[in-house]
Amino acid sequence: MTYVEYKMLNPFQRFAYNFKRVLVSVPRAVGNFFKAIGKGIAKFFIGIVKGFKNYGVTFAKGDWATKLSYLIFGAGDLHKGKYYKGILFFLTEVLYILYITMFGWGYISKFGTLGTVETSMQKVNGIPKPVLGDNSMLILLYSVLTIVVTVVVFAIYIANIKDAYKHQVMKANGEKPTSLRTDIKEFLDGKYHITLLSFPVLMICVFNILPLLFMILIAFTNYDKQHMPPGTLFTWVGMENFKDLFNLVEGAKKGKTFVELTGWTLLWAVLATFTNYILGMIVALMINKKGIKFKGLWRTLFVIAIAVPQFVSLLLMNQMLQVNGAINVLLTQISHMFGGTETIEIQFLNSTTLMARATVVIVNIWVGIPYTILSMSGILMNIPEDLYESARIDGASPVKTFTAITLPYMIFVTTPQLITTFVGNINNFNVIYLLTGGGPSTEQYYQAGRTDILVTWLFKLSMDTQDYGLAAAIGILVFIVCATISLIVYNNSKSMKDEEAFS
Amino acid sequence: MKKIIAVLMAGMMTASVFAGCGGSGGSSGSSGSSASDTQSSADDGGAQVKDANLVDVSMFGEEDNISLKVWCAHKATGLVEKQIEEFKKAYPEKKFENIEVVAVGEGDAGTQMLNDASTAADVFSFASDQLNKLVGAKVIAPVAFTKAVTEMNAETTVEAGTLDGTLYAYPQTNDNGYYLVYDKSVVSEDKTGKLEDILAACKDAGKKFIFDSGNGFYSCTYAFTAGVKINGLEKDGVTQKFTEYDEEEAVKTLQAFSKLMHDYSGTYTSLDVAQIASGFSTGTLGAGIDGSWNTAADKDALKDNFGAAKLPTINVDGTDKQLVSLFGYKYIGVNAASKFPASAQILAYYLAGETCQQQRAEELGWGPSNKNVQQMDVVTKSDIQQAIKAQSENACVQVNIATTFWDPMANLGNKLIADKTDPSDADYFKKLLQETIANIRDEG
Repeated sequence: MTYVEYKMLNPFQRFAYNFKRVLVSVPRAVGNFFKAIGKGIAKFFIGIVKGFKNYGVTFAKGDWATKLSYLIFGAGDLHKGKYYKGILFFLTEVLYILYITMFGWGYISKFGTLGTVETSMQKVNGIPKPVLGDNSMLILLYSVLTIVVTVVVFAIYIANIKDAYKHQVMKANGEKPTSLRTDIKEFLDGKYHITLLSFPVLMICVFNILPLLFMILIAFTNYDKQHMPPGTLFTWVGMENFKDLFNLVEGAKKGKTFVELTGWTLLWAVLATFTNYILGMIVALMINKKGIKFKGLWRTLFVIAIAVPQFVSLLLMNQMLQVNGAINVLLTQISHMFGGTETIEIQFLNSTTLMARATVVIVNIWVGIPYTILSMSGILMNIPEDLYESARIDGASPVKTFTAITLPYMIFVTTPQLITTFVGNINNFNVIYLLTGGGPSTEQYYQAGRTDILVTWLFKLSMDTQDYGLAAAIGILVFIVCATISLIVYNNSKSMKDEEAFS
Repeated sequence: MKKIIAVLMAGMMTASVFAGCGGSGGSSGSSGSSASDTQSSADDGGAQVKDANLVDVSMFGEEDNISLKVWCAHKATGLVEKQIEEFKKAYPEKKFENIEVVAVGEGDAGTQMLNDASTAADVFSFASDQLNKLVGAKVIAPVAFTKAVTEMNAETTVEAGTLDGTLYAYPQTNDNGYYLVYDKSVVSEDKTGKLEDILAACKDAGKKFIFDSGNGFYSCTYAFTAGVKINGLEKDGVTQKFTEYDEEEAVKTLQAFSKLMHDYSGTYTSLDVAQIASGFSTGTLGAGIDGSWNTAADKDALKDNFGAAKLPTINVDGTDKQLVSLFGYKYIGVNAASKFPASAQILAYYLAGETCQQQRAEELGWGPSNKNVQQMDVVTKSDIQQAIKAQSENACVQVNIATTFWDPMANLGNKLIADKTDPSDADYFKKLLQETIANIRDEG
């Protein structure tokens, strides 16, 4: 369809056309996403093969010192006069061997079974004392640590070989290795990014990657109330936890719970994100309109809601929505004013699924839109006034200016924010847990209620019933859903494809 | 004479050392054998118990510069701190670096222990239902002074603290349950026997009756009264076992409950028990089912009109059935991973001892598990304590309860009271009961 043809359509046709285009593009976007992943994996394996080839070639071409570097770190560098680097390489090897023999081997050797000796009790002088056996959790944790350390040391090992060969070639060409002083200077100049980033990267590895790997591995174990270290051991069960979650046989509660809660989680995320977005935008537009007086006052009034911590408002809301809470009392008194005699006792949170879910969404609007108003007001005030002026001169109606200028601008700026809000809502623990606690309860689900989303279910599974393995499996699946959605949407957004627009 | 005694004592001690090698059995069997008091009994591989509060200082062994962490209920922290000061004075030979008291609720302590035993308290109070979890995870150390503790405390409390023949915790209270509290000006004393009468009286006065049906701790009463009682755990240590029950009869009872809830809708309300005291003080409440720990607040709200009684009966097909509640005990446990295991045991023994129990009964109104304290005026002259005692005879013991027990039971209560439930639909209740049991047993 050409541009002219498009312009001749009426708004409904345009909407249908655009909607169709989006729908058609989704499969392609998903396809591209997986293609990209596939390419990445292929590249990775090609890299490994190349690495092995280089490994062999270097060994064949190397002199005796380079060949010795294959066994003793830093031998090549020391022989070629690059002393400080050679010593560092050698120290790494010594420390690694010490680490493995004194600490790492004790854990990594049990990695396959996660321990075999159970803790028992013994009496010493009449006082019972535990005789500690294997602790599956520590074995898993320190094994992960050892694996990470090993990977890092392996990288250093390869660097040591490359360095040895580099210096061999340099020596053959009659060049001298650079001195320590020049190398340090280089780290403050050409390689400054390494100096700056090494510490943060290290910290991310220790505090993010390591626990993450640990948690992912737990999903493949039977770590639950029957297998609690240090008393009892847990072990590998493969995909058993995932099988439970996708088991849809009649009567299998975990599968049913997972599937239905996933549906509600996504519905909730969409509702929570877009109600807040649209309503926040409308209120911001109203406040920002020319001719509205006391703009500062209105903004402040809405923002006051932010001043109270969210969890406090939510807990208060929970109290207000009880059968004898403030809202029912208020409704009763209003009805009495009009001659009613009955006491109104609406079960907002604890009767039907629909009522509870609607209540949650509405309360979320109340706690959520001040944030949208804030950011939207900022964006609205930033739209260049000359755009509107020229539109007015051309005779555009207010609706036209909104759909042609305001909306595209706002969507352009806020798409990344929308994605984060959406993902945030998938994991919006506070609103659900503090407001309804997952209720209304049901006998159809395993340890979950009708308004539970996946994270709150995960929380209940790990805190109340100690089903850690199952909870970890749910965590992984939630991550996959969030990551896929954000990557696809972000990569297809205008803000990503056309960064320069509107600037 | 002295020599003979000394030889006998030494013989007993060696014998008990050998007994210790054979495992820690026999604690429950030994309770009836000795009728003497608790003085210096040489049980459990040489444990030296001085009296009902203290043990011999030699039991500390090598431990000195002791620092311990104690968890107890928020309300009790002040009193426990005082008691610990007394404890320190009782052992002038030992240096106590720091004994820290932290408020962690008894309902919560078990979970907190399981989450990370290494940073948890050395000595902690907990409710009896968590015992199996703690023992299963081996984070709780068995009681070191089994014989003395067994003799001092009521048999039921010791039995509930014993798993596979080993006593794992020091009994502390014998009152962890709920009962009927009522406003005497609304419900007259002679009407407290029947649930129907209580509800009618409340409705006539335009007041409410609170029974927290959305909390498994209270709503399991419906199932228990229906004959579906808990009966320990299966061999795997986590699956709940139930007694045999007549399904038809059980369904009828549930229907009777649901019918009452719907007939008296507006009167029969399911609210948190915290609302009971405030309901009494605002005059909107006629009666309620409340826990023993809220007694003081309820009494303050009603003053002279405060009444307490055991749970009433419910009429099922013409017969009055007694409501069966959940009744538990509070224990003091010792962390198996404690750095000062002996000191922790001695402190636990002291805190669960006679004097401390008496102080708690007097100052906090907690019902004691100690036999001597149970005979004191503070217990025998209290209506509340007597109501608790009467209810404890119609109750399931809150011990060995699966973690999956609470939510399905809460759901059962919610469903009975839900507006859309039709009390005459027997099939619905049958299905609900089956699903509830299946969920608790994690079948499917």
